[in-house]
Amino acid sequence: MIQIARALFISRKDVESYYSKPPLVTWGLLFPAVLMLAIYVKNPSTYLTVAPGIIGMTLLFGNTSMAAIVITWEKRSGTLQRLLLAPVSHQTIVLGKVVSAAAYGVATSTVLTLGLVVLLKMPMVHLPVFIVGLLAGAATFALLGMIIAVRVREVFEAMTLLNFFRFPILFISGVFMPLDALPAWARPIAMVSPLTHTVELLRFGVTGQSWFPTPWIPILVLATMLTVSWLLAGTAFRRHANR
Amino acid sequence: MRRYGDLVALDRVDFTVRRGEIFAYLGPNGAGKTTTINILAGLLHRDAGQVSVCGFDIDREGVAVKQRIGVVPEESNLYPELTCRRNLEYLGQLYGLGRSERRRRVDELLETFDLTEKASVRFRALSRGMKRRLTVAASLVHSPEVVFFDEPTSGLDVPSARTLRELIRTINRHGTTVFLTTHNLAEAEDLSDQVLILIKGKVVTEGATDEIGRQAAGAEILSVVFSANVPVDTLLAACPAVMSANITDEKWRFEVADVHQTTMQIVAWAEKSGLKILKISTETPSLEEAFMAILEKNSAGSEVRR
Repeated sequence: MIQIARALFISRKDVESYYSKPPLVTWGLLFPAVLMLAIYVKNPSTYLTVAPGIIGMTLLFGNTSMAAIVITWEKRSGTLQRLLLAPVSHQTIVLGKVVSAAAYGVATSTVLTLGLVVLLKMPMVHLPVFIVGLLAGAATFALLGMIIAVRVREVFEAMTLLNFFRFPILFISGVFMPLDALPAWARPIAMVSPLTHTVELLRFGVTGQSWFPTPWIPILVLATMLTVSWLLAGTAFRRHANR
Repeated sequence: MRRYGDLVALDRVDFTVRRGEIFAYLGPNGAGKTTTINILAGLLHRDAGQVSVCGFDIDREGVAVKQRIGVVPEESNLYPELTCRRNLEYLGQLYGLGRSERRRRVDELLETFDLTEKASVRFRALSRGMKRRLTVAASLVHSPEVVFFDEPTSGLDVPSARTLRELIRTINRHGTTVFLTTHNLAEAEDLSDQVLILIKGKVVTEGATDEIGRQAAGAEILSVVFSANVPVDTLLAACPAVMSANITDEKWRFEVADVHQTTMQIVAWAEKSGLKILKISTETPSLEEAFMAILEKNSAGSEVRR
């Protein structure tokens, strides 16, 4: 309990220091909002097939980027070392950092979703499933961003490494192209992409339909990915945080 | 022991710091000082050996050790976006201080470090000296038993450095053990009770600060002012107990093995040469002289001595 309380102090400080800055909030919202608008203007009848994917993409880019920026910035400024000197475990630090990064991703995605619901009358058939998708996706992406960022010192290094997996999975995770339309060789890769499962949960929440027969499949897969990412992030912190 | 690839950064380093003392851990650049602090603070793993801080094993009881130590790194590393007060409050939260205790401790530290008026100023807007003071204050939020200072006055102007040294003394007077690394040997001599000198990852000497000079030089210093110029070759020939001689502002400083015997020889030689001795006294070699002597001993052929 003590360590959880300390993790929440870390999260609150991160929100205060980084995530609540107006430029960051608009940065996280501007690109997906403009993209969504462009798709809607082009063909209003098809926007609903893309909307869950755009929300998932907002989570992916927002959370991996922000987690990576915060970690590399703190490594360079020495404040991460200050945290490592405190009586908190590596897992506590990871938890604190993930909660704040995920909160940022959930907040920006929620604003985007509210905009779509209010302005474009986007439906919301299963809100609880949508929320689970948002939370699990945000946490998994934040952890992936941290696992990579803790190994490097420069933001551009972290971004380069992140782009190695972010852009490819964007095209195989059902964001722009339905999973049915993927070539046979790409489907197994899509199944190990956390973005696929996040987008399908969001899609189920919005439309009540998904590529999977039941939302429990992506929920279980994401839960597994979240656990593995959590363990990997703890190990990465232990090995690389003070280098 | 700690290795970086083939380089042995720390080699069989063994020492004990007594509770309540100021322990100066000295060495040239690359000697292994910061590596030692990082190991003692639980930031770096060693390759072999045992480390116990405040009675706790750093590997098995790392959190307990961190709860009892404070670290002032060479570069101030607080949160630039947060105010002075918020920085201290946040660290108080991480160290488990309750709300009222935290508030009281933060106010107390801001006052002690003369930062009360800057409580609402962001860390990044402070002067270098103030940043340093707040960094020291931050290391004391949880009232640690031991504080590690890594080059505490590096880059500070003279008044700020003096203020910080006085604060280190105050911290120590309140019972906190101080582990100090510095390149400023006058500072180490001024502050410390015990000194350890590390060169290339090995301990070359350790002891009470005032003993280190004698130990290291292996000699004492006899300081003499003569009434006129001295032909040094004649003097050295007449005084075999003098090991080396140098002059600064008309004051001769003789490194001697036996003060009494040398004094007798110099007095006799001065009488014979028709010179008056205006002043004669013994000096203990300074820590800086001792440090240089040790460095020279550890780097071959750097001095010509008699």
